[in-house]
Amino acid sequence: MGAVTYPNEKVADFVMNRMVPIQVLSDSPLADEFKVKWTPTIVVLDFYGKEHHRTVGFFPPEEFIPSMLLGMGKIDFDADQFNDAIIHFDTLLKEYPKSAAAPETIYLRGVSRYKASHDAKPLKEAYEKLKADYPASEWAKRAEPYGLL
Amino acid sequence: MGNVIIWEAELNKSLTRGQAEKKPILLDFFNPG
Repeated sequence: MGAVTYPNEKVADFVMNRMVPIQVLSDSPLADEFKVKWTPTIVVLDFYGKEHHRTVGFFPPEEFIPSMLLGMGKIDFDADQFNDAIIHFDTLLKEYPKSAAAPETIYLRGVSRYKASHDAKPLKEAYEKLKADYPASEWAKRAEPYGLL
Repeated sequence: MGNVIIWEAELNKSLTRGQAEKKPILLDFFNPG
């Protein structure tokens, strides 16, 4: 991460403009507190310190930003701020539609739209998009029941 | 010239900054060896 991803200009711009970055050693007390067993481990926290998203292993620059956008969307999702979550998810899907984070984002975007509207149609739309674009993804399988709506 | 990442090293300071700037925290655990 330190040799490839973090020096990337787009990644650095994103991190410095959109997040507060903190880097700690894997044998630090904080690593014990967060039960970190392998590196790199990246955790996205809200500004109260609550964890919402975690990744383990290397992420290239083109996957790192969408993963962070997913984490930011999850912060809003977990706080029931569904319209704000949708903004993050829409940005991710518009700018990084082929990223590894896209299938989970499509799923959570559908759930967020349902939660915001109480209309089940977005759940079915999420399933149909996952089935069409990411049929082998675990998120397509998780969304299968919505195909019956 | 673009940004470089300037890392915080202490969680409480990061949370204080996050609250002031309304930003989430990117917490990176690394092994320099």
